[in-house]
Amino acid sequence: MTLQLVFDALSLGGIYAIAALGIALIFGVMKLVNFAHGQFIAFAVFALIVPSTDAVAVMGLGAAPALVLVPALLAVGAGLAVASEYLVFRPLRNVSPVALMVASFALGVVIQNALLVIYGGRPKAISLWPELGKPVRLLGAEVPMLQIMVICAVLLVLALLAIMLKRSRVGLEMRAAAEDFGMARLLGVRANAVIAGAFALSGALAATVALVLVAQTGVADVRMGGQIMLIAFIATVVGGMGSLPGAVAAGFAIGAVSVALQAVLPIEARPFRDAFLYGLVILVLLLRPQGLFASASAKPRV
Amino acid sequence: MSKLGIFDLSVRYGKLTAVNNISFTVAEGERVFISGPNGAGKSSLLAAIAGEVRAAHGRIEMDGDILSGRVPEAIARRGLSMVPEGRRIFRALSVQENLMVGVGLRRDKTAVPDDLEAIYAAFPILGTRRHANAGALSGGQQQMLAIGRALMTNPKLMLVDEPSLGLAPRVVDEVYDRLCSLQAQRGLTLVIVEQSSARAGRVGGRMLLLRGGQIVADGDAASFAADDLLKEAYFGKAAP
Ligand SMILES: Nc1ncnc2c1ncn2[C@@H]1O[C@H](COP(=O)(O)OP(=O)(O)OP(=O)(O)O)[C@@H](O)[C@H]1O
Ligand SMILES: [Mg+2]
Repeated sequence: MTLQLVFDALSLGGIYAIAALGIALIFGVMKLVNFAHGQFIAFAVFALIVPSTDAVAVMGLGAAPALVLVPALLAVGAGLAVASEYLVFRPLRNVSPVALMVASFALGVVIQNALLVIYGGRPKAISLWPELGKPVRLLGAEVPMLQIMVICAVLLVLALLAIMLKRSRVGLEMRAAAEDFGMARLLGVRANAVIAGAFALSGALAATVALVLVAQTGVADVRMGGQIMLIAFIATVVGGMGSLPGAVAAGFAIGAVSVALQAVLPIEARPFRDAFLYGLVILVLLLRPQGLFASASAKPRV
Repeated sequence: MSKLGIFDLSVRYGKLTAVNNISFTVAEGERVFISGPNGAGKSSLLAAIAGEVRAAHGRIEMDGDILSGRVPEAIARRGLSMVPEGRRIFRALSVQENLMVGVGLRRDKTAVPDDLEAIYAAFPILGTRRHANAGALSGGQQQMLAIGRALMTNPKLMLVDEPSLGLAPRVVDEVYDRLCSLQAQRGLTLVIVEQSSARAGRVGGRMLLLRGGQIVADGDAASFAADDLLKEAYFGKAAP
Protein backbone atom coordinates (compact mmCIF):
# COMPACT_ATOMS: atom_id res chain seq x y z
CA MET A 1 0.00 0.00 0.00
CA THR A 2 2.57 2.59 1.08
CA LEU A 3 5.09 1.36 -1.47
CA GLN A 4 2.44 1.74 -4.14
CA LEU A 5 2.00 5.35 -3.02
CA VAL A 6 5.70 5.97 -3.38
CA PHE A 7 5.63 4.67 -6.94
CA ASP A 8 2.54 6.77 -7.70
CA ALA A 9 4.24 9.86 -6.32
CA LEU A 10 7.45 9.23 -8.25
CA SER A 11 5.78 8.62 -11.58
CA LEU A 12 3.35 11.52 -11.30
CA GLY A 13 6.02 13.86 -9.94
CA GLY A 14 8.43 12.73 -12.65
CA ILE A 15 6.02 13.80 -15.40
CA TYR A 16 5.48 17.15 -13.73
CA ALA A 17 9.24 17.56 -13.38
CA ILE A 18 9.85 16.89 -17.08
CA ALA A 19 7.06 19.25 -18.12
CA ALA A 20 8.35 21.94 -15.75
CA LEU A 21 11.88 21.54 -17.13
CA GLY A 22 10.55 22.23 -20.61
CA ILE A 23 9.24 25.57 -19.40
CA ALA A 24 12.21 26.44 -17.17
CA LEU A 25 14.77 25.78 -19.95
CA ILE A 26 13.21 28.38 -22.25
CA PHE A 27 12.57 30.81 -19.43
CA GLY A 28 16.22 30.48 -18.43
CA VAL A 29 17.65 31.66 -21.73
CA MET A 30 14.84 33.91 -23.02
CA LYS A 31 12.88 35.03 -19.95
CA LEU A 32 9.84 33.74 -21.83
CA VAL A 33 7.12 31.70 -20.15
CA ASN A 34 6.08 29.58 -23.08
CA PHE A 35 2.38 28.95 -22.54
CA ALA A 36 2.27 26.99 -25.80
CA HIS A 37 4.20 24.18 -24.08
CA GLY A 38 0.95 22.34 -23.29
CA GLN A 39 0.01 22.42 -26.96
CA PHE A 40 3.49 21.16 -27.88
CA ILE A 41 2.59 18.14 -25.72
CA ALA A 42 -0.82 17.73 -27.39
CA PHE A 43 0.76 18.04 -30.83
CA ALA A 44 3.19 15.25 -30.04
CA VAL A 45 0.33 13.06 -28.80
CA PHE A 46 -1.56 13.47 -32.08
CA ALA A 47 1.57 12.91 -34.11
CA LEU A 48 1.21 9.25 -33.09
CA ILE A 49 -2.00 8.74 -35.07
CA VAL A 50 -3.02 9.09 -38.71
CA PRO A 51 -4.60 12.51 -39.42
CA SER A 52 -8.39 12.15 -39.69
CA THR A 53 -11.51 13.44 -37.96
CA ASP A 54 -12.88 9.87 -37.57
CA ALA A 55 -13.87 8.83 -34.05
CA VAL A 56 -11.63 5.79 -34.22
CA ALA A 57 -7.93 6.49 -34.12
CA VAL A 58 -5.60 4.64 -36.47
CA MET A 59 -2.04 4.42 -35.23
CA GLY A 60 0.50 5.90 -37.62
CA LEU A 61 3.86 6.62 -36.05
CA GLY A 62 2.42 5.04 -32.88
CA ALA A 63 2.49 1.62 -34.55
CA ALA A 64 6.24 1.76 -35.13
CA PRO A 65 8.59 -0.24 -32.89
CA ALA A 66 9.66 1.72 -29.81
CA LEU A 67 13.23 2.07 -31.08
CA VAL A 68 11.90 4.04 -34.04
CA LEU A 69 8.90 5.63 -32.36
CA VAL A 70 10.66 7.25 -29.40
CA PRO A 71 13.43 9.08 -31.31
CA ALA A 72 11.00 10.02 -34.08
CA LEU A 73 8.51 11.54 -31.64
CA LEU A 74 11.28 13.40 -29.79
CA ALA A 75 12.32 14.80 -33.18
CA VAL A 76 8.71 15.83 -33.92
CA GLY A 77 8.52 17.70 -30.59
CA ALA A 78 11.91 19.33 -31.12
CA GLY A 79 11.00 20.23 -34.70
CA LEU A 80 7.74 21.89 -33.71
CA ALA A 81 9.45 23.88 -30.96
CA VAL A 82 12.29 25.03 -33.21
CA ALA A 83 9.84 25.99 -35.95
CA SER A 84 7.80 27.97 -33.41
CA GLU A 85 10.91 29.77 -32.28
CA TYR A 86 11.92 30.61 -35.82
CA LEU A 87 8.48 31.72 -37.04
CA VAL A 88 7.00 33.32 -33.93
CA PHE A 89 9.53 34.17 -31.23
CA ARG A 90 12.57 35.16 -33.30
CA PRO A 91 10.82 38.03 -35.08
CA LEU A 92 9.67 39.19 -31.63
CA ARG A 93 13.12 38.95 -30.04
CA ASN A 94 13.20 42.59 -28.95
CA VAL A 95 9.66 43.06 -27.67
CA SER A 96 8.72 43.16 -24.00
CA PRO A 97 8.46 39.93 -21.98
CA VAL A 98 4.72 40.46 -21.62
CA ALA A 99 4.26 40.71 -25.39
CA LEU A 100 6.30 37.54 -25.79
CA MET A 101 4.10 35.75 -23.29
CA VAL A 102 0.96 36.86 -25.12
CA ALA A 103 2.51 35.60 -28.36
CA SER A 104 3.05 32.21 -26.73
CA PHE A 105 -0.63 32.11 -25.73
CA ALA A 106 -1.58 32.91 -29.31
CA LEU A 107 0.73 30.22 -30.64
CA GLY A 108 -0.91 27.71 -28.28
CA VAL A 109 -4.34 28.64 -29.56
CA VAL A 110 -3.18 28.28 -33.18
CA ILE A 111 -1.71 24.82 -32.55
CA GLN A 112 -4.80 23.70 -30.65
CA ASN A 113 -7.12 24.86 -33.42
CA ALA A 114 -4.98 23.23 -36.07
CA LEU A 115 -5.31 19.95 -34.15
CA LEU A 116 -9.08 20.44 -33.85
CA VAL A 117 -9.42 20.95 -37.58
CA ILE A 118 -7.23 18.02 -38.52
CA TYR A 119 -8.30 15.48 -35.89
CA GLY A 120 -11.72 16.67 -34.70
CA GLY A 121 -12.70 17.69 -31.19
CA ARG A 122 -13.63 14.36 -29.60
CA PRO A 123 -11.09 12.53 -27.47
CA LYS A 124 -9.92 9.32 -29.11
CA ALA A 125 -8.96 6.07 -27.49
CA ILE A 126 -5.49 4.95 -28.49
CA SER A 127 -3.50 2.16 -27.05
CA LEU A 128 0.24 2.50 -26.89
CA TRP A 129 2.30 -0.38 -25.54
CA PRO A 130 -0.64 -2.19 -23.82
CA GLU A 131 1.70 -4.94 -22.65
CA LEU A 132 3.15 -2.44 -20.15
CA GLY A 133 -0.11 -2.51 -18.19
CA LYS A 134 0.77 -5.87 -16.61
CA PRO A 135 1.72 -5.68 -12.95
CA VAL A 136 5.04 -6.97 -11.69
CA ARG A 137 5.93 -7.89 -8.14
CA LEU A 138 8.52 -5.57 -6.69
CA LEU A 139 9.62 -5.44 -3.05
CA GLY A 140 6.44 -7.18 -2.04
CA ALA A 141 4.09 -4.83 -3.91
CA GLU A 142 2.24 -5.17 -7.19
CA VAL A 143 3.40 -2.35 -9.44
CA PRO A 144 2.31 -1.83 -13.04
CA MET A 145 5.23 -2.34 -15.41
CA LEU A 146 4.36 1.01 -17.00
CA GLN A 147 4.95 2.87 -13.77
CA ILE A 148 8.42 1.40 -13.41
CA MET A 149 9.16 2.28 -17.03
CA VAL A 150 7.97 5.84 -16.50
CA ILE A 151 10.14 6.31 -13.43
CA CYS A 152 13.17 4.86 -15.22
CA ALA A 153 12.52 7.00 -18.30
CA VAL A 154 12.19 10.14 -16.17
CA LEU A 155 15.43 9.41 -14.34
CA LEU A 156 17.19 8.67 -17.64
CA VAL A 157 15.97 11.93 -19.19
CA LEU A 158 17.04 13.91 -16.12
CA ALA A 159 20.47 12.27 -16.11
CA LEU A 160 21.02 12.86 -19.84
CA LEU A 161 19.95 16.48 -19.53
CA ALA A 162 22.21 17.05 -16.53
CA ILE A 163 25.19 15.53 -18.35
CA MET A 164 24.45 17.59 -21.43
CA LEU A 165 24.22 20.82 -19.47
CA LYS A 166 27.26 20.07 -17.36
CA ARG A 167 29.62 18.52 -19.86
CA SER A 168 28.87 19.74 -23.37
CA ARG A 169 29.83 22.94 -25.12
CA VAL A 170 26.22 23.86 -25.88
CA GLY A 171 25.27 23.10 -22.27
CA LEU A 172 27.93 25.48 -20.99
CA GLU A 173 26.77 28.16 -23.41
CA MET A 174 23.17 27.68 -22.29
CA ARG A 175 24.05 28.03 -18.62
CA ALA A 176 26.13 31.12 -19.32
CA ALA A 177 23.35 32.61 -21.46
CA ALA A 178 20.77 31.87 -18.78
CA GLU A 179 22.77 33.97 -16.35
CA ASP A 180 23.75 36.89 -18.59
CA PHE A 181 22.83 36.56 -22.23
CA GLY A 182 24.48 39.82 -23.25
CA MET A 183 27.79 38.82 -21.67
CA ALA A 184 27.69 35.40 -23.32
CA ARG A 185 27.22 37.08 -26.69
CA LEU A 186 30.17 39.40 -26.03
CA LEU A 187 32.20 36.19 -25.64
CA GLY A 188 31.08 34.95 -29.05
CA VAL A 189 28.20 32.71 -27.96
CA ARG A 190 25.69 32.69 -30.82
CA ALA A 191 22.32 33.83 -29.51
CA ASN A 192 20.33 32.11 -32.25
CA ALA A 193 22.02 28.77 -31.72
CA VAL A 194 21.55 28.79 -27.95
CA ILE A 195 17.89 29.78 -28.17
CA ALA A 196 17.16 27.24 -30.90
CA GLY A 197 18.94 24.61 -28.79
CA ALA A 198 16.83 25.43 -25.76
CA PHE A 199 13.65 25.18 -27.81
CA ALA A 200 14.74 21.87 -29.34
CA LEU A 201 15.37 20.40 -25.88
CA SER A 202 12.12 21.81 -24.57
CA GLY A 203 10.19 20.30 -27.50
CA ALA A 204 11.83 16.92 -26.96
CA LEU A 205 10.81 17.09 -23.28
CA ALA A 206 7.23 17.89 -24.36
CA ALA A 207 7.27 14.79 -26.57
CA THR A 208 8.51 12.73 -23.61
CA VAL A 209 5.56 13.93 -21.55
CA ALA A 210 3.24 13.12 -24.47
CA LEU A 211 4.49 9.53 -24.65
CA VAL A 212 4.00 8.98 -20.94
CA LEU A 213 0.54 10.58 -20.92
CA VAL A 214 -0.67 8.46 -23.82
CA ALA A 215 0.74 5.27 -22.37
CA GLN A 216 -0.91 6.01 -19.02
CA THR A 217 -4.31 7.32 -20.10
CA GLY A 218 -4.83 5.62 -23.47
CA VAL A 219 -6.45 8.79 -24.77
CA ALA A 220 -5.58 11.45 -27.33
CA ASP A 221 -7.33 14.69 -26.45
CA VAL A 222 -6.63 18.16 -27.83
CA ARG A 223 -6.98 19.58 -24.31
CA MET A 224 -4.64 17.21 -22.56
CA GLY A 225 -1.63 19.52 -22.56
CA GLY A 226 -3.42 22.34 -20.77
CA GLN A 227 -3.84 20.77 -17.33
CA ILE A 228 -0.26 19.54 -17.13
CA MET A 229 1.02 22.86 -18.45
CA LEU A 230 -0.70 24.62 -15.55
CA ILE A 231 0.90 22.34 -12.96
CA ALA A 232 4.28 22.53 -14.72
CA PHE A 233 4.10 26.31 -14.73
CA ILE A 234 3.29 26.31 -11.02
CA ALA A 235 6.25 23.99 -10.46
CA THR A 236 8.61 26.40 -12.24
CA VAL A 237 7.31 29.29 -10.13
CA VAL A 238 7.56 27.34 -6.87
CA GLY A 239 11.01 26.07 -7.85
CA GLY A 240 12.22 29.60 -8.62
CA MET A 241 11.83 30.83 -12.20
CA GLY A 242 14.76 29.76 -14.30
CA SER A 243 16.20 27.30 -11.80
CA LEU A 244 16.33 23.88 -13.45
CA PRO A 245 16.98 21.88 -10.26
CA GLY A 246 14.20 23.94 -8.65
CA ALA A 247 11.75 23.02 -11.41
CA VAL A 248 12.58 19.33 -11.05
CA ALA A 249 12.35 19.37 -7.26
CA ALA A 250 9.08 21.30 -7.29
CA GLY A 251 7.64 18.96 -9.95
CA PHE A 252 8.38 15.94 -7.76
CA ALA A 253 7.10 17.76 -4.68
CA ILE A 254 3.78 18.63 -6.32
CA GLY A 255 3.41 15.03 -7.52
CA ALA A 256 4.13 13.71 -4.04
CA VAL A 257 1.77 16.14 -2.34
CA SER A 258 -1.11 15.37 -4.70
CA VAL A 259 -0.66 11.63 -4.22
CA ALA A 260 -0.44 12.10 -0.46
CA LEU A 261 -3.53 14.31 -0.36
CA GLN A 262 -5.41 11.72 -2.41
CA ALA A 263 -4.47 9.12 0.18
CA VAL A 264 -5.09 11.01 3.41
CA LEU A 265 -8.04 13.25 2.56
CA PRO A 266 -11.42 11.84 3.61
CA ILE A 267 -13.44 10.52 0.66
CA GLU A 268 -15.83 13.46 0.62
CA ALA A 269 -12.94 15.98 0.45
CA ARG A 270 -11.08 14.29 -2.40
CA PRO A 271 -12.82 16.17 -5.20
CA PHE A 272 -11.25 19.28 -3.68
CA ARG A 273 -7.75 17.83 -3.69
CA ASP A 274 -6.49 20.43 -6.17
CA ALA A 275 -7.85 23.23 -4.03
CA PHE A 276 -5.73 21.94 -1.14
CA LEU A 277 -2.75 21.59 -3.49
CA TYR A 278 -3.00 25.15 -4.79
CA GLY A 279 -3.55 26.41 -1.25
CA LEU A 280 -0.22 24.85 -0.31
CA VAL A 281 1.41 26.45 -3.35
CA ILE A 282 0.15 29.87 -2.29
CA LEU A 283 1.47 29.25 1.21
CA VAL A 284 4.93 28.37 -0.14
CA LEU A 285 4.98 31.48 -2.31
CA LEU A 286 3.90 33.66 0.61
CA LEU A 287 6.79 32.34 2.66
CA ARG A 288 9.32 32.36 -0.19
CA PRO A 289 8.15 34.67 -3.00
CA GLN A 290 11.35 34.08 -4.98
CA GLY A 291 10.64 30.33 -5.08
CA LEU A 292 12.33 27.51 -3.25
CA PHE A 293 15.47 27.74 -5.35
CA ALA A 294 16.04 31.28 -6.61
CA SER A 295 18.22 31.17 -9.71
CA ALA A 296 21.64 32.75 -9.69
CA SER A 297 20.60 35.43 -12.17
CA ALA A 298 17.74 36.50 -9.94
CA LYS A 299 20.14 37.42 -7.16
CA PRO A 300 21.32 41.01 -7.18
CA ARG A 301 24.79 41.49 -8.58
CA VAL A 302 27.43 42.83 -6.22
CA MET B 1 45.83 50.77 -41.32
CA SER B 2 44.69 51.39 -37.78
CA LYS B 3 43.50 48.59 -35.53
CA LEU B 4 40.34 50.44 -34.53
CA GLY B 5 38.71 53.36 -36.27
CA ILE B 6 35.78 55.35 -34.92
CA PHE B 7 34.18 57.81 -37.30
CA ASP B 8 31.46 60.31 -36.31
CA LEU B 9 30.02 57.87 -33.79
CA SER B 10 26.91 58.76 -31.82
CA VAL B 11 25.01 56.66 -29.29
CA ARG B 12 21.56 57.62 -28.09
CA TYR B 13 19.17 56.24 -25.50
CA GLY B 14 15.85 57.71 -26.55
CA LYS B 15 16.34 61.48 -26.46
CA LEU B 16 19.54 61.30 -24.41
CA THR B 17 22.76 61.49 -26.41
CA ALA B 18 25.43 59.52 -24.53
CA VAL B 19 28.13 59.65 -27.24
CA ASN B 20 28.12 62.67 -29.47
CA ASN B 21 29.85 62.47 -32.85
CA ILE B 22 33.17 61.01 -31.75
CA SER B 23 36.08 60.18 -34.06
CA PHE B 24 39.47 58.66 -33.21
CA THR B 25 41.73 55.82 -34.28
CA VAL B 26 43.81 53.34 -32.30
CA ALA B 27 47.02 51.85 -33.73
CA GLU B 28 47.94 48.20 -33.46
CA GLY B 29 49.57 47.39 -30.12
CA GLU B 30 48.64 50.75 -28.63
CA ARG B 31 47.31 51.29 -25.10
CA VAL B 32 44.61 53.93 -24.91
CA PHE B 33 42.99 55.12 -21.71
CA ILE B 34 39.57 56.70 -21.80
CA SER B 35 38.88 58.96 -18.87
CA GLY B 36 36.19 61.42 -17.91
CA PRO B 37 33.53 62.09 -15.32
CA ASN B 38 30.54 59.88 -14.51
CA GLY B 39 28.04 59.83 -17.34
CA ALA B 40 30.60 61.07 -19.89
CA GLY B 41 29.68 58.20 -22.20
CA LYS B 42 32.74 55.99 -21.69
CA SER B 43 30.84 52.74 -21.19
CA SER B 44 28.43 53.60 -23.98
CA LEU B 45 31.36 54.09 -26.32
CA LEU B 46 32.78 50.66 -25.49
CA ALA B 47 29.34 49.04 -25.69
CA ALA B 48 28.86 50.48 -29.18
CA ILE B 49 32.26 49.20 -30.32
CA ALA B 50 31.48 45.71 -29.01
CA GLY B 51 28.06 45.76 -30.66
CA GLU B 52 26.10 45.64 -27.42
CA VAL B 53 24.31 48.89 -28.17
CA ARG B 54 23.52 50.06 -31.67
CA ALA B 55 25.15 53.25 -32.85
CA ALA B 56 22.67 55.97 -33.75
CA HIS B 57 25.09 57.33 -36.30
CA GLY B 58 28.61 56.80 -37.58
CA ARG B 59 30.98 53.97 -38.44
CA ILE B 60 33.24 51.64 -36.48
CA GLU B 61 36.06 49.79 -38.22
CA MET B 62 38.47 47.12 -37.08
CA ASP B 63 41.38 46.31 -39.41
CA GLY B 64 39.46 48.18 -42.08
CA ASP B 65 36.34 45.94 -41.72
CA ILE B 66 33.13 47.62 -40.72
CA LEU B 67 31.91 46.47 -37.30
CA SER B 68 28.92 48.76 -36.87
CA GLY B 69 25.63 46.97 -37.46
CA ARG B 70 27.05 43.54 -36.61
CA VAL B 71 25.83 41.50 -33.64
CA PRO B 72 28.19 41.14 -30.63
CA GLU B 73 28.99 37.49 -31.31
CA ALA B 74 30.10 38.35 -34.85
CA ILE B 75 32.32 41.15 -33.56
CA ALA B 76 33.85 38.83 -30.95
CA ARG B 77 34.71 36.41 -33.77
CA ARG B 78 36.78 39.13 -35.42
CA GLY B 79 39.10 39.23 -32.43
CA LEU B 80 37.56 41.86 -30.20
CA SER B 81 36.93 41.02 -26.57
CA MET B 82 35.32 42.94 -23.74
CA VAL B 83 35.94 43.10 -19.99
CA PRO B 84 32.74 44.92 -19.09
CA GLU B 85 31.89 47.39 -16.39
CA GLY B 86 30.95 45.52 -13.21
CA ARG B 87 32.81 42.43 -14.54
CA ARG B 88 29.63 40.43 -15.23
CA ILE B 89 31.09 37.14 -14.06
CA PHE B 90 28.87 34.06 -14.49
CA ARG B 91 28.43 33.54 -10.79
CA ALA B 92 26.77 30.14 -10.95
CA LEU B 93 29.56 28.73 -13.14
CA SER B 94 32.92 27.55 -11.89
CA VAL B 95 36.03 29.64 -12.50
CA GLN B 96 37.18 27.30 -15.24
CA GLU B 97 33.75 27.22 -16.89
CA ASN B 98 33.80 31.02 -16.99
CA LEU B 99 37.13 30.89 -18.78
CA MET B 100 35.80 28.33 -21.27
CA VAL B 101 32.60 30.13 -22.33
CA GLY B 102 34.44 32.18 -24.93
CA VAL B 103 36.56 29.47 -26.56
CA GLY B 104 33.67 28.30 -28.76
CA LEU B 105 34.52 30.96 -31.34
CA ARG B 106 38.15 29.88 -31.71
CA ARG B 107 39.41 27.96 -34.72
CA ASP B 108 42.65 26.94 -32.99
CA LYS B 109 40.95 24.64 -30.48
CA THR B 110 44.14 22.63 -29.93
CA ALA B 111 45.77 25.68 -28.36
CA VAL B 112 43.06 26.03 -25.73
CA PRO B 113 44.59 23.82 -22.96
CA ASP B 114 47.92 25.69 -23.18
CA ASP B 115 46.12 29.03 -23.14
CA LEU B 116 44.18 27.99 -20.07
CA GLU B 117 47.43 27.13 -18.29
CA ALA B 118 48.87 30.48 -19.39
CA ILE B 119 45.94 32.27 -17.74
CA TYR B 120 46.46 30.23 -14.56
CA ALA B 121 50.16 31.12 -14.68
CA ALA B 122 49.36 34.82 -14.98
CA PHE B 123 46.66 34.67 -12.29
CA PRO B 124 47.68 31.82 -9.95
CA ILE B 125 44.68 32.38 -7.67
CA LEU B 126 42.36 31.43 -10.56
CA GLY B 127 44.26 28.17 -10.96
CA THR B 128 43.97 27.37 -7.28
CA ARG B 129 40.25 28.04 -7.33
CA ARG B 130 39.49 26.70 -10.79
CA HIS B 131 36.65 24.45 -9.56
CA ALA B 132 35.17 26.99 -7.15
CA ASN B 133 31.97 28.86 -7.93
CA ALA B 134 32.91 32.16 -9.55
CA GLY B 135 30.37 33.94 -7.35
CA ALA B 136 32.48 33.05 -4.33
CA LEU B 137 35.54 34.99 -5.57
CA SER B 138 36.55 38.34 -4.12
CA GLY B 139 36.19 41.49 -6.22
CA GLY B 140 39.81 41.51 -7.29
CA GLN B 141 39.72 37.83 -8.19
CA GLN B 142 36.55 38.42 -10.20
CA GLN B 143 38.30 41.20 -12.10
CA MET B 144 41.15 38.85 -12.92
CA LEU B 145 38.64 36.22 -13.99
CA ALA B 146 36.88 38.72 -16.26
CA ILE B 147 40.24 39.58 -17.86
CA GLY B 148 41.19 35.91 -18.20
CA ARG B 149 37.80 35.09 -19.67
CA ALA B 150 38.21 37.80 -22.31
CA LEU B 151 41.73 36.61 -23.12
CA MET B 152 40.57 33.02 -23.65
CA THR B 153 38.83 34.15 -26.85
CA ASN B 154 42.35 34.95 -28.12
CA PRO B 155 41.54 38.58 -28.95
CA LYS B 156 43.66 41.06 -30.88
CA LEU B 157 41.83 44.03 -29.41
CA MET B 158 40.56 44.13 -25.84
CA LEU B 159 38.22 46.69 -24.30
CA VAL B 160 38.44 46.96 -20.50
CA ASP B 161 35.87 49.02 -18.61
CA GLU B 162 36.98 50.38 -15.22
CA PRO B 163 39.10 47.45 -14.02
CA SER B 164 39.93 49.33 -10.83
CA LEU B 165 36.34 49.86 -9.73
CA GLY B 166 35.86 48.92 -6.09
CA LEU B 167 39.33 47.38 -5.68
CA ALA B 168 42.01 48.19 -3.11
CA PRO B 169 44.95 50.16 -4.61
CA ARG B 170 47.33 47.23 -4.13
CA VAL B 171 44.98 44.95 -6.06
CA VAL B 172 44.64 47.58 -8.80
CA ASP B 173 48.45 47.64 -9.10
CA GLU B 174 48.40 43.89 -9.57
CA VAL B 175 45.62 44.00 -12.17
CA TYR B 176 47.44 46.64 -14.26
CA ASP B 177 50.73 44.83 -13.87
CA ARG B 178 49.21 41.67 -15.37
CA LEU B 179 47.33 43.56 -18.06
CA CYS B 180 50.52 45.26 -19.24
CA SER B 181 52.63 42.14 -19.30
CA LEU B 182 49.89 40.18 -21.09
CA GLN B 183 49.65 42.99 -23.61
CA ALA B 184 53.37 42.84 -24.26
CA GLN B 185 53.37 39.03 -24.57
CA ARG B 186 50.49 38.88 -26.99
CA GLY B 187 50.86 42.09 -28.94
CA LEU B 188 47.38 43.12 -27.81
CA THR B 189 45.77 46.44 -28.49
CA LEU B 190 44.14 47.76 -25.31
CA VAL B 191 41.42 50.34 -24.76
CA ILE B 192 40.90 50.89 -21.04
CA VAL B 193 38.33 53.06 -19.29
CA GLU B 194 40.01 54.46 -16.18
CA GLN B 195 38.53 57.20 -14.02
CA SER B 196 41.80 57.92 -12.27
CA SER B 197 44.05 59.92 -14.56
CA ALA B 198 46.84 59.58 -12.01
CA ARG B 199 46.62 55.84 -12.36
CA ALA B 200 46.55 56.07 -16.16
CA GLY B 201 49.56 58.36 -16.06
CA ARG B 202 51.55 55.93 -13.94
CA VAL B 203 50.70 52.93 -16.14
CA GLY B 204 51.45 54.96 -19.25
CA GLY B 205 49.90 55.23 -22.68
CA ARG B 206 47.68 57.55 -24.62
CA MET B 207 44.66 59.13 -23.05
CA LEU B 208 41.37 60.37 -24.43
CA LEU B 209 39.35 62.65 -22.22
CA LEU B 210 35.60 62.36 -22.62
CA ARG B 211 33.02 64.78 -21.40
CA GLY B 212 29.37 65.08 -22.30
CA GLY B 213 29.82 62.43 -24.96
CA GLN B 214 32.62 64.29 -26.72
CA ILE B 215 36.41 64.02 -26.79
CA VAL B 216 37.80 67.11 -25.11
CA ALA B 217 41.46 66.10 -25.13
CA ASP B 218 43.71 63.46 -26.69
CA GLY B 219 47.34 63.06 -25.66
CA ASP B 220 49.93 61.36 -23.47
CA ALA B 221 48.43 60.03 -20.23
CA ALA B 222 51.49 60.87 -18.10
CA SER B 223 51.54 64.51 -19.14
CA PHE B 224 47.79 64.72 -18.69
CA ALA B 225 47.82 63.56 -15.14
CA ALA B 226 48.89 66.91 -13.73
CA ASP B 227 47.13 69.02 -16.32
CA ASP B 228 44.37 71.54 -15.71
CA LEU B 229 42.51 70.14 -18.71
CA LEU B 230 41.46 67.29 -16.50
CA LYS B 231 39.94 69.43 -13.85
CA GLU B 232 38.14 71.25 -16.60
CA ALA B 233 36.85 68.02 -18.05
CA TYR B 234 35.56 66.91 -14.70
CA PHE B 235 34.23 70.13 -13.29
CA GLY B 236 33.71 72.40 -16.25
CA LYS B 237 35.57 75.67 -16.70
CA ALA B 238 36.30 76.77 -13.17
CA ALA B 239 35.58 80.32 -12.16
CA PRO B 240 38.87 82.17 -11.48
N1 LIG C 1 20.93 51.62 -20.96
C1 LIG C 1 20.79 52.94 -20.82
N2 LIG C 1 19.58 53.52 -20.97
C2 LIG C 1 19.43 54.85 -20.84
N3 LIG C 1 20.42 55.71 -20.54
C3 LIG C 1 21.65 55.19 -20.37
C4 LIG C 1 21.90 53.79 -20.48
N4 LIG C 1 23.20 53.58 -20.25
C5 LIG C 1 23.74 54.78 -19.99
N5 LIG C 1 22.82 55.75 -20.05
C6 LIG C 1 23.07 57.20 -19.88
O1 LIG C 1 24.01 57.59 -20.85
C7 LIG C 1 24.96 58.49 -20.30
C8 LIG C 1 26.34 57.93 -20.45
O2 LIG C 1 26.44 56.78 -19.63
P1 LIG C 1 27.72 55.84 -19.63
O3 LIG C 1 27.42 54.68 -18.76
O4 LIG C 1 28.16 55.57 -21.00
O5 LIG C 1 28.78 56.80 -18.91
P2 LIG C 1 30.16 56.45 -18.24
O6 LIG C 1 31.10 57.47 -18.72
O7 LIG C 1 30.53 55.04 -18.47
O8 LIG C 1 29.83 56.70 -16.71
P3 LIG C 1 30.41 55.95 -15.41
O9 LIG C 1 31.70 56.58 -15.08
O10 LIG C 1 29.38 56.24 -14.36
O11 LIG C 1 30.53 54.50 -15.70
C9 LIG C 1 24.54 58.69 -18.85
O12 LIG C 1 23.79 59.88 -18.79
C10 LIG C 1 23.69 57.51 -18.54
O13 LIG C 1 22.71 57.84 -17.59
MG1 LIG D 1 30.87 53.44 -17.24
